[in-house]
Amino acid sequence: MIIAQRKPFKEISEAVAPYDKILIVGCGTCVAVCLAGGEKEVGLLASQLKLAAGLKGRRIEVGEITVERQCDREFLEPLCDFVADHDAILSMACGAGVQFLAQLYYFKPIFPAVDTTFIGVNEAVGLFTERCRACHHCYLGLTGGICPLTMCPKGLLNGPCGGTLNGKCEVDPEKDCAWSEIYRRLEQQGRLDNLKKIVPLHPHARSTTPGQVIHPAYQRRYSAYE
Amino acid sequence: MADLQRPVTLVEEGPAIGGLMAQLDKTFPTNDCAMCILSPRMLEVARHPLIEILTLTRLTNLSGEAGDFTAHLSRRPRYVDVDKCSGCGECTRVCPARLPDPYNLGLSRAKAIHVPFPQAVPQAAYLEPEACRVFRGKPCEACLKVCPAGAIDLHQTEEVLVRRVGAVILAPGSRPFDARGKAEYGYGRYPNVVTSPEFERLLSATGPCAGHVRRPSDGTEPRRIAWIQCVGSRDASLGREYCSYVCCMYAAKQAIIAREHDPRVEPTIFFIDFRAQGKGFDRYYERARETHGVRFLRSMVSRVTQDPRTHNLEITYVGEDGDLHTEEFDLVVLSVGLGPHPAAAKLAEVCGIETDKYGFVKHPPFQMVSTSREGIFTCGAYQSPKDISETAGQASAAAAAAAALLAEAQTGLLPKAEYPPEREVSQEEPRLGVFICHCGINIAGVVDVVAVTDYARTLPHVVHAEHYTFACATDSLDKMRAVIEEQQLNRVVVASCSPRTHEPLFQENLRKSGLNKYLLEMANIRDQDSWVHQNNPAGATEKAKELVKMAAARAAELEPLKEFPVPVTQSALVVGNGLAALTAALTIADAGYQVHLAALEDRVAFGGLARKQHYSLEGHQYRPYIEHLAARAEGHPRIRWWPNSRVTSFSGYVGNFRSTLEYPGESRELRYGVAIIATGGVEYQPREYLYGRHPRVLTQMELENRLTTEPEIVAESPTFVMIQCVGSRSPEHPYCSRVCCGEAIKNALKIKELNPEAKVFILYRDIRTYGLKEIYYKKARDAGVRFIRYEPEQPPEVEPAGEALAVSVFDQNLKAFIALEADYLVLSAAIRPHPLSSEIARIFKLPFDRDGFFMEAHLKLRPLDFAASGLFLCGLAHGPKYVEESIAQAQGAAARALGILAQKQMVVGGRVARVDPKHCVACLTCIRTCPFGVPRVNQTEGVVEIDPAACQGCGSCASACPRKAIEVLHSRDRQIISKICAIELEEMAAS
Repeated sequence: MIIAQRKPFKEISEAVAPYDKILIVGCGTCVAVCLAGGEKEVGLLASQLKLAAGLKGRRIEVGEITVERQCDREFLEPLCDFVADHDAILSMACGAGVQFLAQLYYFKPIFPAVDTTFIGVNEAVGLFTERCRACHHCYLGLTGGICPLTMCPKGLLNGPCGGTLNGKCEVDPEKDCAWSEIYRRLEQQGRLDNLKKIVPLHPHARSTTPGQVIHPAYQRRYSAYE
Repeated sequence: MADLQRPVTLVEEGPAIGGLMAQLDKTFPTNDCAMCILSPRMLEVARHPLIEILTLTRLTNLSGEAGDFTAHLSRRPRYVDVDKCSGCGECTRVCPARLPDPYNLGLSRAKAIHVPFPQAVPQAAYLEPEACRVFRGKPCEACLKVCPAGAIDLHQTEEVLVRRVGAVILAPGSRPFDARGKAEYGYGRYPNVVTSPEFERLLSATGPCAGHVRRPSDGTEPRRIAWIQCVGSRDASLGREYCSYVCCMYAAKQAIIAREHDPRVEPTIFFIDFRAQGKGFDRYYERARETHGVRFLRSMVSRVTQDPRTHNLEITYVGEDGDLHTEEFDLVVLSVGLGPHPAAAKLAEVCGIETDKYGFVKHPPFQMVSTSREGIFTCGAYQSPKDISETAGQASAAAAAAAALLAEAQTGLLPKAEYPPEREVSQEEPRLGVFICHCGINIAGVVDVVAVTDYARTLPHVVHAEHYTFACATDSLDKMRAVIEEQQLNRVVVASCSPRTHEPLFQENLRKSGLNKYLLEMANIRDQDSWVHQNNPAGATEKAKELVKMAAARAAELEPLKEFPVPVTQSALVVGNGLAALTAALTIADAGYQVHLAALEDRVAFGGLARKQHYSLEGHQYRPYIEHLAARAEGHPRIRWWPNSRVTSFSGYVGNFRSTLEYPGESRELRYGVAIIATGGVEYQPREYLYGRHPRVLTQMELENRLTTEPEIVAESPTFVMIQCVGSRSPEHPYCSRVCCGEAIKNALKIKELNPEAKVFILYRDIRTYGLKEIYYKKARDAGVRFIRYEPEQPPEVEPAGEALAVSVFDQNLKAFIALEADYLVLSAAIRPHPLSSEIARIFKLPFDRDGFFMEAHLKLRPLDFAASGLFLCGLAHGPKYVEESIAQAQGAAARALGILAQKQMVVGGRVARVDPKHCVACLTCIRTCPFGVPRVNQTEGVVEIDPAACQGCGSCASACPRKAIEVLHSRDRQIISKICAIELEEMAAS
């Protein structure tokens, strides 16, 4: 899941200060689960904006709507009437959602209300931790299901650095060393031989942005072939 | 016509229907297999209860008048009873006499008695008496002895049949030009000079060399293949001045396909103008050139000579550089033009209709499908040369015209069967009955039917098994019903032929015995077993057992499905206000249905783009015709017309649509059964060539207007320079606007008519005056209009020169720059889709093609339908076209719409997709996959819903759903899996 964090209110309110009619668009998927941009957060932000404006003696209109996902055109298209009625859009989706919304309603100013942080998991209520860097090449089969690229701050692929101490990381002694964890996991499973394999250079070239994936079943649809 | 509930007699001269298309390999511009898309249509015709097919029959006399004709038909003997013959091919196997196979154009040989081609309809053999030994006085009758059905009757004689009909539609089609008439190309003398239809057979998998192209002289694979265009077209010396429309495109297609078959092929096409005027054609042409490596040489070949030793062919031509070149080829294909079918002349005489000097039907202005005699209509290549999609569209138009004529007449009555109530079986344990068919000796001759029956009795759940000589015979069906009742069977397996032809029959039998029709399963032990394993009876018997076992396993998992009738709202919505919209609305209203005409603009805009013009290339006046239509539409009791309206919502499914119509100051809910989208197009406002910045730069439409309203502008013999393809065939808009060449020539001819001293230069890339419009191109050249060809890499340059303009262009024929002083510069501006069409597309969820025109369901055979059923398109909304073509398309779209309205009620449900809401995650994959736009998100539940009334049961969503939340009923996973798991894998491996 994509994890995001609500931006500080000051930043948001300054961004939309010039507008009197603001539409807040929430997203009902990842950002709703990580408590950053779902229906509830849309309502909160709307009230905050209206109260703040009221304190300054301004009256603003704030529209609220939350769609299933902002990363699918079909869910965004029905918004056109709402968009037309407002001067600016505040999207509470991840960066992908904000951009897709902006692409569709290119004629309206759009502002993000959250900072997209990482791909992670919901460890406990309100606690989200990173697990994946979307690096285009997965090593998890080799490393016992612990990602060296994400979990090791240095992203080392062939064992720990010299800074590991008592299973803790030199970058942040509070954190476990990813490679110590990998070693223990593999040892437990009797797969320590995996560590003898030398992993070649990570194909960073694949991470050239913007990325594109075409599902093999749909190659024909998107290639020049007809 | 039959879908409009009219009984139809289909009269065909040959032994099978399908015409030229049945002989084609692939079709442009999609490269679809011709037979794959035609065959289902032919089967539909064969199965239709209101269609009577008469083969080997011709019309000999037609008396009476529109609404009440008496047709005398003469049927040649087939010597085979079509109703008895199953097409098993036993007779062909034993027949000793051979003849050149007409289906393969004589490139291979066939037996004197044979089924015309594998997918022929009717699927029955016919006997060619000229080749048959019996008819040549020799002893034989081998076929009579082996025919299991007793279908052969050598004593048949010519029959005269009489039918009373209300209307006649003539569609005799065309015959390719006999290339022997062009002796300089050596066809008939040089074995490796073939015609394009022959090459089509060479390419075809069902052709004489099974799809591996081999040259006729020595059977080697040709590498260097040349196509020569315009053989028997655009040729005054042969009296065939017209263009045959399809040859450029089929040559490009054949070249592409030949290279697909063998990448070593080097195709070369010699042509004059490349005529890619249809939808998607220009992209195809560009792809042929850029991607597929087809060499296009703009040069007319004067003759072909043969190397007598190698049978290779030498072609001498003038190249782009102006020099003579000689090149050797392995195979030369002559792209022969189309002419009316030889039998058509007699047909025209019998029907008393007028034809032009080439034999094509003459039609009243703007009415392409009408003829000079009321009640007789025409369509297809008999009207003028045209491609398959135009033909399919026109055929619908002819049906609409005939339906409008016969609106008052009694419609055909389909016999309504009465069924007993369905037995409730879902709580019962499966009790299976297995019925095995001998199909005469078709199955029993190879498969040990008794052994299979005994084996079937041992299968789980099977309580009864027996075998019949013909399971489809009436007495067998009666017995089957008796057994079902007696044994209280609740699932039935029939092991016989193909469900494609016989499933409906057995399903009906189940219904008659009180079982739901979806409790039937068939095992095809004929086509997939006895026919393909004739040499291995023991193996075939084992396979039959396996097939029966699989069918029984699936049958046990079958469940009854509900079908329910839904009444069709008896009205249509037509969106648009152009000529196409008016014509479609009037055609439907005339046929007796209510029409809502949602006009996008005001009354004065009625007639759309056509109204902005005055006369056609053929010289007919538009405005009186439009006024006549508009007045009729306004006064028509069944047309409700809303000017300046917008459709703002759309929901429902075919037969029961709903929309909100908003018009100034008000809005209204509409309910309708079908909708026709005819939003039209607009003329492109050029940004090129100083348009809008110099008063003497006009578009063709503006010029036409000036010539009509102020003809004095040509009094002082000014010079007009016209530039073609402005906004068309460019990298941004890679499509041809189809009409601009004709429009330019129309205006050029008008100028010359007003003042022969005026000078007209037309700067063009390819002149695309296809079909009979070619005649006007010739007229223009004869009248002294100068044509200068330019290449897109060196477009004309225009500079203002005071009042006038200076035009400089590089003439590709002279290979030199030409400076022209133009008093008027006329731009042949492209046709663009109507700006409102994107809004309409969004509301109705309709797809566009890549040029922004609406995309039809199938380019070839469903040119007027949208993929979503119940929605149709016509006119410029579909793509650029001439006025009369728009009218014909509008009539055709109306006919398609009438086909739904005429049903009164539709049966829906049954084999449809069902979503499991517990699994659905609203990923939208199904919504994007469904070709009919049926799945919708239920916003409150957050899941997708599929309306069983709208679902077509194609299964695309079920196979695409990543959560496996969708299943198509009757093809549920467990039904398929149980069938597959029934195969004894180990046993199979051991055998």
